[in-house]
Amino acid sequence: MDTLKVRDAKDVEEVVRAAIANEQPLEIIGHGSKRSIGHAMATNAVLDVSALNAVTSYEPNELIITVEAGAPLADVMSLIDSKNQQFAFEPMHTAPLLGTPALGTIGGMIAAGLAGPRRIRAGGARDHLLGAHAVSGFGDSFKTGGKVVKNVTGYDLCKLLAGSWGTLSVMTEVTLKVMPKPEAERTLLLRGLDDAAANKAMTAALGSPFDVSGAAHLPKSAFRPKMEGLGAIASQGEALTVLRLEGITASAAHRAASLRELLAPFGTAVVVEDDASAALWAAIRDVLPFAAGGALGAWPVWRIVCPPAAGGTLGQQLARETGGDVLYDWGGGLIWAALPPNADAHAAAVRRRADAVGGHAMLVRASEDIRRSVEVFHPQPAGVAALGERVRASFDPKTILNRGRLTRGAAAA
Amino acid sequence: MAIMMPASDTAVLARRSEIVAALRAIVPGEGVIDSPAEMRVYESDGLTAYRQPPMVVVLPDTTEQVSLVLKYCAAEGIKVVPRGSGTSLSGGALPLEDGVLLGLGKFKRIREIDFDNRVVVTEPGVTNLAISQAVAHAGFYYAPDPSSQIACSIGGNVAENSGGVHCLKYGMTTNNVLGCEIVLMSGEILRIGGKGCENAGYDLMGVITGSEGLLGVITEITVRILQKPETARALMVGFAEVEAAGECVARIIGAGIIPGGMEMMDKPAIHAAEAFVHAGYPLDVEALLIIELDGPGVEVDELITRVEAIAQACGSTTCQISTSEAERNLFWAGRKAAFPAVGRISPDYLCMDGTIPRGALPKALARIRELSEKYQLGVANVFHAGDGNLHPLILYDANKPGEIERAEAFGADILRACVEFGGVLTGEHGVGIEKRDLMPEMFSEVDLNQQQRLKCAFDAQGLLNPGKVFPTLHRCAELGRMHVHAGKLAFPDIPRF
Repeated sequence: MDTLKVRDAKDVEEVVRAAIANEQPLEIIGHGSKRSIGHAMATNAVLDVSALNAVTSYEPNELIITVEAGAPLADVMSLIDSKNQQFAFEPMHTAPLLGTPALGTIGGMIAAGLAGPRRIRAGGARDHLLGAHAVSGFGDSFKTGGKVVKNVTGYDLCKLLAGSWGTLSVMTEVTLKVMPKPEAERTLLLRGLDDAAANKAMTAALGSPFDVSGAAHLPKSAFRPKMEGLGAIASQGEALTVLRLEGITASAAHRAASLRELLAPFGTAVVVEDDASAALWAAIRDVLPFAAGGALGAWPVWRIVCPPAAGGTLGQQLARETGGDVLYDWGGGLIWAALPPNADAHAAAVRRRADAVGGHAMLVRASEDIRRSVEVFHPQPAGVAALGERVRASFDPKTILNRGRLTRGAAAA
Repeated sequence: MAIMMPASDTAVLARRSEIVAALRAIVPGEGVIDSPAEMRVYESDGLTAYRQPPMVVVLPDTTEQVSLVLKYCAAEGIKVVPRGSGTSLSGGALPLEDGVLLGLGKFKRIREIDFDNRVVVTEPGVTNLAISQAVAHAGFYYAPDPSSQIACSIGGNVAENSGGVHCLKYGMTTNNVLGCEIVLMSGEILRIGGKGCENAGYDLMGVITGSEGLLGVITEITVRILQKPETARALMVGFAEVEAAGECVARIIGAGIIPGGMEMMDKPAIHAAEAFVHAGYPLDVEALLIIELDGPGVEVDELITRVEAIAQACGSTTCQISTSEAERNLFWAGRKAAFPAVGRISPDYLCMDGTIPRGALPKALARIRELSEKYQLGVANVFHAGDGNLHPLILYDANKPGEIERAEAFGADILRACVEFGGVLTGEHGVGIEKRDLMPEMFSEVDLNQQQRLKCAFDAQGLLNPGKVFPTLHRCAELGRMHVHAGKLAFPDIPRF
């Protein structure tokens, strides 16, 4: 396999043009940390953008940063952290879940679009990508969006690039919104709720004026006598419902007290502060209870997005039906499900239940074998799928970029 | 008219009565309007300098009717212009002489309020404010609040990706919309997204939002609603220099404070607003900031103190802090009435909408002053200062020969300056026809071609709202053609590993 390590956007253009001329599909990688997500690609050439790794500009007062797509995510995050800023959508680190080295680029993070717990309040990668330079499957460098937070000039192609898994264009440079880090955080812990009650507690919290920035539930689990990554907080082995409040110290404390009172019917909440709270949310963000190195490391993992109030029932029934384990984020709107290994990773059950509530499910972790027989990405209704395919072809008519990653069997086409 | 619209199709115009009859067969009764007198109300939108009666107006009241109208028009090669409440400031709903104007005004029903999932499912003709009113009894509201929120429709908000005073903290329409039902030009009805946080597949909702009616006709929308903050208070801070006000804005953001709203007005705007609403604005300052903090009382009080200190450090000359809802509303009354207030001091005005990096504010204001001299036209400036979104109001008199042309040239120069300073042509009003011919200032032909290819994926015949957004319309077949770069048959000289 050829790996072409490009040095700049011009190189990317040339490689894609050559690939078009040769009808040679390309796999696009940064650090390759998420290569195991999606279907096997029909290609024997890799376009490696990891050398496009410069920070073009960072202006803390403008709340924006412009970086090349191959810049290491960890480096960029520590750079903005040094100015007390952050990506408000809390991008997930997939390394623990996938069992890969702790790597990853900005471009990969956007292409995957996997937002963390603060998604419910701050939005996802798509909401924070302000502008991009990219090379389309026509072999042309184009730009979209801009370098300001408020912009409606032309179609918002950034929305399509975020979460496109490298199938529309090769991003070369992106401008992202950054936000100030909150001064303080407080997390309320409720113990012992079943999934349905926890779903109700999270719904009450998110429907309150207390500006909750995280709402997750970790059910009591037979597989998890000690929840990985959660330390002493989880040592009692009980179900844990957690609600986060962030902001200036006085405000976070005030809202924590008010929310505690509101949730009294669900039990007496314990309050965890700052560093301990941050560690807890990082564990939820990165789905540490299902880590590749943990007790359920060999089980396939699904990521199900659904209407939040439907989450508790969906997750509970799915866990019962399959004998699997689930955890909830986004107030019930995101369910991570680790299910006992079988031939199809319980795809039929997962998709039936997700469809029933207007949700969708993605198989984030599974062996190559299973991915050969199961659609990784949720099948869409015919009309929407056809429109999605026309949209894809409008960027890459020859299917040069990441051919076959999103649809099973398409690699052969 | 300075802006040329696509040439009318005389063959279509010749068949007008046949087309009207066909539309009547789809939408019975008063839903089809073809008398010149009745069509006049549709001849322009909020960009009143441009007027054009449509060939015929059709006002369907079901998704099926919308679908049949579009299917018919697609089969017959007839252009269609969708319209909500007609409040667009960029001419997004300007009719075409040979086009059907498709009004969504009868889609007025809120279909579902779901407090548990914190969403409202609504028809597109419902006004922005009506959504907030429908959920206010439970303490909720819909966050994006364009100034026209009493009148503008939520469908139009999605088409334009509308903003408003509070989008600094709560985002634009695109950040608050979860799903829609959309009818493509072919008549095909699709549902995109839903009540969950994210769509499956490509983020089609994200690209439909802000597509200015060129991709499809929206017949249902699911929006996110939020709980109202416990309290809100505002500061009204005056500065002797515009630069100091700009510095104050930068320092507030730099201190990690994201106010609910942060607005700036310059002296002419302050005077016009004060004369109109008597809000008690200081008249001897060059710039006025209205800064609103919202959240729990304890947070608001603390942030007010911090912001006040920053303002003083930046040399503020006056500072009032609201102590009641009445007073807070009074602070806002002038700002919210700024456009009509300017309308009282000038027969006509053009409202511009560029965005610049916050730090470029003093530079941009200096440039606007120079241009005001050059074109010999007055200008009043109101800004969404927190996000760098400028609304210079160019004062002119349409009855004076040549003034509208001068005003448009002035406006175009302001927008060019916005791009030059690292900003964009439009922050929230949309491109429409108004900024269409300036698109090449910001985008190359390659950039624009990629956008138009996306249009082709939704509307291959280019019949939906043609003449808006893109300065040059290309045929989809031409855009889709792959130019194979000759002589590059092997991978070039790139390091291999």
